[in-house]
Amino acid sequence: MGTTVSIELVEDRPDDELRRLIADVCAWFHEVDARFSTYKADSEVSRFDRGGLRLEECSADLRHVLEACADLWRDTDGYFDVYASGSLDPSGYVKGWSVEMASNRLFEAGSHNHYINAGGDIRMRGKHPDGVPWRVGIRHPWEADKMSWVLALTDGAVATSGTYERGDHVINPRTGRPAKGLRSVTVVGPDLSIADAYATAALAMGEAGVPWLAKRAADGYDSAVVTDDGRAFSSANLPAAV
Amino acid sequence: MRRSTAAAVGTLTGAALIIGVRLSVTPPEAPVATAPVADLGKSTSAPAKKPAENSTSKPPGNKAKPTDKPADKPADKPKSGLQDGVFKGSPAANPYGKIQVSIRVEGGEITAAEASYPTANDSATINPPAIAALKQETLKAQNADVAAVSGATYTSESYVKSLQAALDAAKA
Repeated sequence: MGTTVSIELVEDRPDDELRRLIADVCAWFHEVDARFSTYKADSEVSRFDRGGLRLEECSADLRHVLEACADLWRDTDGYFDVYASGSLDPSGYVKGWSVEMASNRLFEAGSHNHYINAGGDIRMRGKHPDGVPWRVGIRHPWEADKMSWVLALTDGAVATSGTYERGDHVINPRTGRPAKGLRSVTVVGPDLSIADAYATAALAMGEAGVPWLAKRAADGYDSAVVTDDGRAFSSANLPAAV
Repeated sequence: MRRSTAAAVGTLTGAALIIGVRLSVTPPEAPVATAPVADLGKSTSAPAKKPAENSTSKPPGNKAKPTDKPADKPADKPKSGLQDGVFKGSPAANPYGKIQVSIRVEGGEITAAEASYPTANDSATINPPAIAALKQETLKAQNADVAAVSGATYTSESYVKSLQAALDAAKA
């Protein structure tokens, strides 16, 4: 995937136990990469896309991802489209989903306070070591060392999709061309897989993503958006830190 | 008491004009017979003909049947097929509330009609669903004490220069 994962565990446990937990999470991310990387010709997703695998022969994880992406395609009016680039690329979902799964594994292993930040998508649980909610900044879309919003969360997910790192990499499926209009979309909610897909879809919609995101608040997904010309929007219940 | 359109009642009293149309067809969900409504008893059907009206009777069925009551009707009027009494239609809901129509039949003729309207303001106004909107605000650029930073997916190269990396290094 070519991204960096930061993990913070808040656990009163021996060092070697914590290292084992981290190693387990890293192994999981490597497994995800081997299965889902579109850059690897021998990944399961590449083989499936080429027709070398039938759907029934695919792993449970790949089948789950494909099904979830189909649902999201429908829920986003086709703007979350794993075929938008021409070939199958579910990474807009896999990124958030893999972190969501990693957080589940940690939780089941007894780690109830932690966060995982994979390439800017974050899943947090519980509290900061100081016993207060996690404070998460949303990176300013122009000034890399500043924040445009600061959030406070205990359990939850924050996903940001934007054009200022990898450029216009999000395609508008309706035009087949890079999406224009929004520079940064952040979605906050209970599930990082969904938040990630929503952020990607909204970016693909351009300015029409702003009212579309507003409707997601009813499902528990809040958002903060910055347009290409510097206008900022946020939902009423965005969990901003005071 | 329900507001009634006095004019309509006055017009219909003693006549079977408008409502008479119903008499010649099979009644649809015909009015459900209920106990006579006292209100109509004192209504403006003063010109009503018969002192021997059956305002206390409970008309049985809800279909128009040939009446076998002693005919008070003038012989030259056709048999209407209506039972004497007061009949209420089932309340019909519409966006403004429930509307109920009652008719009073005397001597086989409709002598009074009334439509009731809700007086309480329970009209179900049709509101467009409240449209959620994101509110516009000034784009802030703040330095803040945070545990993590969410941003567009950084590459491994740009991570190195990122705020998240600085945080990670500080905690290592």
